[in-house]
Amino acid sequence: MSVGSLFFSVCALVALVGAVSTVAAKNPIRSAVGLLATIVAIAALFLKLAAQFLAAIQLIVYAGAVVVLFVFVIMLLGPDATTGERPARLRLSRWGGAVLLAAITGAALFVMRKGFGPLVPLGPVRADFGSTEAVGGLVFRGGLVPFEIATALLIVAVVGAIAVARSKPQPKKPRAEGHETRRLFAGPLHPRDAERPLPKESAR
Amino acid sequence: MPTELLKNPYVHGAVYGVVIVTVLMTITAWSIWFERKFAGRMQSRVGPTLVGPFGLLQPLADAVKLLQKEDIVPASADRALFNLAPPLTVLFALGTAAVIPFSPEVIAADLDVGVLWVLAMGGLTVFPVWIAGWASNNKYALLGGMRSVAQGISYEIPLVLAALVPVTLAGSMSISDIVRYQEKNGWVVGMPPGPGILAFLIFFLASLAEANRIPFDIPEAESELIAGVTTEYTGMKFGLFYLAEYLHTLIVAAVGAALFFGGWAGPFGLGSGLHWMVGKTLLLFFGVFWVRWTFLRFRADQLMSLCWKYLVPAGLVLVMLSAFWVHYKAGTRG
Repeated sequence: MSVGSLFFSVCALVALVGAVSTVAAKNPIRSAVGLLATIVAIAALFLKLAAQFLAAIQLIVYAGAVVVLFVFVIMLLGPDATTGERPARLRLSRWGGAVLLAAITGAALFVMRKGFGPLVPLGPVRADFGSTEAVGGLVFRGGLVPFEIATALLIVAVVGAIAVARSKPQPKKPRAEGHETRRLFAGPLHPRDAERPLPKESAR
Repeated sequence: MPTELLKNPYVHGAVYGVVIVTVLMTITAWSIWFERKFAGRMQSRVGPTLVGPFGLLQPLADAVKLLQKEDIVPASADRALFNLAPPLTVLFALGTAAVIPFSPEVIAADLDVGVLWVLAMGGLTVFPVWIAGWASNNKYALLGGMRSVAQGISYEIPLVLAALVPVTLAGSMSISDIVRYQEKNGWVVGMPPGPGILAFLIFFLASLAEANRIPFDIPEAESELIAGVTTEYTGMKFGLFYLAEYLHTLIVAAVGAALFFGGWAGPFGLGSGLHWMVGKTLLLFFGVFWVRWTFLRFRADQLMSLCWKYLVPAGLVLVMLSAFWVHYKAGTRG
């Protein structure tokens, strides 16, 4: 086994284990860590394919941004955010998933046994394949308009999210009576005192 | 070593990787001694003196002590993740070192997206800290982890913008290409006059934030969070976090030296070589210590407003200025 195929095997194994633990883990944090492992392993596979730019972008965007987003959601939900009991309507998706998995496995087995006829030899890749220049050229020459539309969409989404998240300015509450410190000590300081009547204003 | 064998990228990467990692680890260990001495001098003390001459063997003594400590995993902790976090911090800190050119030859992997790789690894460093904070099942650790993630993703943006300035000027994302450009055209800090040094300052601040160094160390602010994410860690696991912090700082200093201070290129036409790169890296590293023992910690909200209200807009302006500069230079040449 050459170094290259060993590298591939290790990365593929890590990616698979991560993917399985992403869907199988009960604890959402473990799912996120599994997803992270998958993403890192796939980035390593991109490196092997000489797509260095894609590998780095994969790490920055998916690991650095998407997983962090998941992490924030999980943290906001709190530590007890587990999946809990499976509702009945998930049964359909489970069966659907099983059928899909069987179909894909069957197709893969079929191809492995029969094959698709003669293999098409791939031409050698160009020297600059996957480099920043090549990707940049494709994006900014060929696909400039879709690229710009996508960025505009993202900016609109960000502005919209901020607009939704920002609550309306609350009308100022009328100030409570008395001094600030007085108000701080107005209520019972200890749970034991909750039942007791408060001292009368006039008594002080 | 037969040079034929070294041409194989795997062998080359492995050999130089081992050498670079060993040297970095050694420097890191003694930088802790140096920092303690330096901090001592700043506070009218003498620092460590007892272990070896001038206390020079203190790092070894510390390491032995850490190895002997009892290894405690809290009963309610997520054991697997708890144990996974410390080695991961070191891994991601060292991952950056792969693409740093210490000289034209001494580089583990000369990726043509070196700068992106550095940023990607920097972005990944928040994960082990967060995993540690979560897995400890301790409120202080969790708060530290959350702060770390929030700080990490915020400061990644000015970091990227500042790193884009040398990339734009040199027209390449390979760090060694950027150094070669600086060899010919002068260091990025000095050019174009003004934005270069501002970009370096933004880069420096954002890197400090990413490495969780004072004044940006709110993830482990000991006056509020006990020890933040490392609260539950003992022995060598804590040692790994400690090591990773210093390693990260050292590597960030090396990246800064390569991107902004001409890397292996000497000043005033004094030739070039490995020693220049090492010297600049250590000087920047020293600067980090200096900052640490001079400034106070930011509050969490000050940290965020510094990033989003000042560093990010400044970074955007700098990127535009450098793009204009490149355009202008191209116009005058052709």
